[in-house]
Amino acid sequence: MKLEIENVSKTYRGNVEALRSFRLELGPGVLGLLGPNGAGKSTLMRILATITRPTAGRVLWNGTDIKHDPDTLRAVLGYLPQDFGIYPNLSALEFLGYLAAVKGLDAAGARKRIGELVELVNLAEVARRPLGGFSGGMRQRVGIAQALLNDPQLLIVDEPTAGLDPEERVRFRNLLSELSGERIVILSTHIVSDVEAVAADIALIAQGELVVHGFPEALLAGVNGKVWEVVVPSGELAALQQRHLVSSTAHRSDGVHARVVADAAPRPGARALEPTLEDAYLAALAARRNGAAAEAAV
Amino acid sequence: MKAFRVVYAIARADFLERVRRYSYLITLLFAVYLGYAAGTGRISLRLGDYRGLYTSAWIGAMVSLVATTFVSLVGFYIVKNAVDRDRQTRVGEILAGTPLSRVSYLLGKFLSNFAVLVSMVAVLALAAVAMQLLAAEDRTFHAWALLSPFLFLALPAMAMTAAMALLFETFSFLRGGFGNVLWFFVWCFGLTLPVATGRPQFDPTGIWLIHESMVPAARAGIPGYVDSFSLTMADKSVRVATGFHWNGVEWTTGIVGLRLAWTAAAFALVLCGAWFFDRFDPASVRRRSRARPRLREAAAPAGAGPESAKARPHVVTSTHLTPLASGALQAGAWPLLVAELKLALKGYRWWWYAVAGGLLIAQFAAPLDVSRGPLLAAAWIWPILVWSALGTREARFGAEQLVFSCPRILRRQFPAAWIAGVLVAALTGLGAAVRLALAGQRAGLMAWAVGVLFIPSLALALGVWSGTSKFFEGLYTVLWYVGPINRAPGFDFTGSANGPQAGRFALLYLCVAATLVAAALLRRARQLQGT
Repeated sequence: MKLEIENVSKTYRGNVEALRSFRLELGPGVLGLLGPNGAGKSTLMRILATITRPTAGRVLWNGTDIKHDPDTLRAVLGYLPQDFGIYPNLSALEFLGYLAAVKGLDAAGARKRIGELVELVNLAEVARRPLGGFSGGMRQRVGIAQALLNDPQLLIVDEPTAGLDPEERVRFRNLLSELSGERIVILSTHIVSDVEAVAADIALIAQGELVVHGFPEALLAGVNGKVWEVVVPSGELAALQQRHLVSSTAHRSDGVHARVVADAAPRPGARALEPTLEDAYLAALAARRNGAAAEAAV
Repeated sequence: MKAFRVVYAIARADFLERVRRYSYLITLLFAVYLGYAAGTGRISLRLGDYRGLYTSAWIGAMVSLVATTFVSLVGFYIVKNAVDRDRQTRVGEILAGTPLSRVSYLLGKFLSNFAVLVSMVAVLALAAVAMQLLAAEDRTFHAWALLSPFLFLALPAMAMTAAMALLFETFSFLRGGFGNVLWFFVWCFGLTLPVATGRPQFDPTGIWLIHESMVPAARAGIPGYVDSFSLTMADKSVRVATGFHWNGVEWTTGIVGLRLAWTAAAFALVLCGAWFFDRFDPASVRRRSRARPRLREAAAPAGAGPESAKARPHVVTSTHLTPLASGALQAGAWPLLVAELKLALKGYRWWWYAVAGGLLIAQFAAPLDVSRGPLLAAAWIWPILVWSALGTREARFGAEQLVFSCPRILRRQFPAAWIAGVLVAALTGLGAAVRLALAGQRAGLMAWAVGVLFIPSLALALGVWSGTSKFFEGLYTVLWYVGPINRAPGFDFTGSANGPQAGRFALLYLCVAATLVAAALLRRARQLQGT
């Protein structure tokens, strides 16, 4: 089972480049695709889900170019788009039944699968009610269920936890971990904690380009010994943020406790901290921005 | 002053959003086509078998009537999405959270609707100028005689159309397909109003005004003239009445005042709409639903009520999904066809099915001519909203990404959706088919079968290509009215009015149906290839 993304580019009307020569090769497991808003994550997801065609490059599913033969991938694909609609007059059971039929599931298999899925996403109590009355989080859970209908080999979920309450988020993360065994799961998000919880592999995307791809440990190793906690008076926080990358702050009685990513201790008394994936993510983005700025200056 | 700025900002944004879409270009092309049709005689103003010389007055009157009639009919469907767009794009919810008043919002939308329609009228006015220059039947150009009918007839009619489109959008029951169908009858009613009431002031399009002005001149200038006056699309030959001299409508204060009154009425309709406008409050729709208590529970935020407490998740660490059996994903076409049929028929109330059932039973019970005539016509207008969803449902509900990422859409889902539409037509008109079969009328039965194929084909093609159900709802209603109801030969896709030529027309409709399906398939294939 292999998904190869070979130099994929996507340019929209008006010469807007959403993806630039993006390369990635994936095997079974969960890939966390991280990136800021507008980085090109959703464009990449749509290309992988055969919704959008790349302007250049190709995507191979087990060696088959999905541009020429999209059904090969569609047959084994589970896709949860970032923004999707539902048919408001159908109940969750009916909607899932409809999509099961479209995906080619036989009636008996579909009934059993849908029954399990509505339990799994915690919608059994409301599964017979019209979707038009569902809250955003409940619709999202219907979306998650439909993505799993055909027991997909490739599961693409774009911002899946948007609209879910904290408990449902945890539930979904656990579900992804359980599902990841013999399939490729691509989890696109800008919520680092979601990726931290489930992804064995991380790709960082910014401005349509792949910035980093590797294991979380490798990313963390990059900022090992570079994360500090400093305590500054509130009035000095802005100056600190101008000089250094501050990943988080907390106001305490003795001042502002700032988490700083820097090669050396940013000021006397700084305490070294264990880095998190969020630190590594922000550091990688900052390094890319600084690199781009330096290039522009040259 | 601030209120004016707000109205202007709403109107400007809406207008820009519209004119920057390709569909606006098609709108203008439609206006160009109307101008061309008028210029080449495909649409003509007739006084019996005659027409007037192409003077400025004649051309101004004729082309402005084309605008007030055709543009008001079609223009309604074009502009009836100003509020809906804000609903679909969810901009409406943002606006609802601002101090923007209902009146300001709707006035802005009204002005945008009006501007779009006026741009179509402007194209027609230019076409009128070109027509006089190119036809060169009368080389004397009178700008006022040519353009004043656009000013006094077309613009108030466009204001009424813009306001009606907006008014329909403010009532939830007129917002969708029912409103689109109803508009055709409202439009017909508007045309006949001055004749039906005998009051010339009830003349929103101004057609009666032109009639009243022209007929005396025709009586004086055309020998044997018997008050016939029509704006037609017929290809029948027409003679030029050389003795007929007409200098245009004399725009008296009373007439101008009346036309201004129609413009004022348009503003009044907008204000009336503001009274009913829900200001994007989804609860206003749900309040009318019988399932209110259940829906409210379902829509409540997590943790907000007893229902959600019942559905409260316990965080699970293991999942219980049974792997699919091998071959489970190789289901035949039947489950999908059933699913498409259920989807097509879902969401209608019991009385909808009762009426459809009643019409079906009546087809079995009534005399054959009534069964295949008015009853079949009624049975085949009733499910119009079922058919109009074909090809548009995915886009309308934003489910394209979910559906189009499934395998074999063109080979499975697309034909299943079409066949579901065919089955709806066949089931609702089954009584007439059985009666025709029992009477041994093979030609009639063939025409019926072709009608069954033609209706969903037209719906699917228009839906897939336009992305909206409006065009099918508008066009099909017109076709249904002209054909099965008014029994115009050739237009009756049910075949009952086509007489001895029923077989020939059936073959023609079969070819059209096949072409429409092919066109829809082509477009859907393009959509599946992505952008």
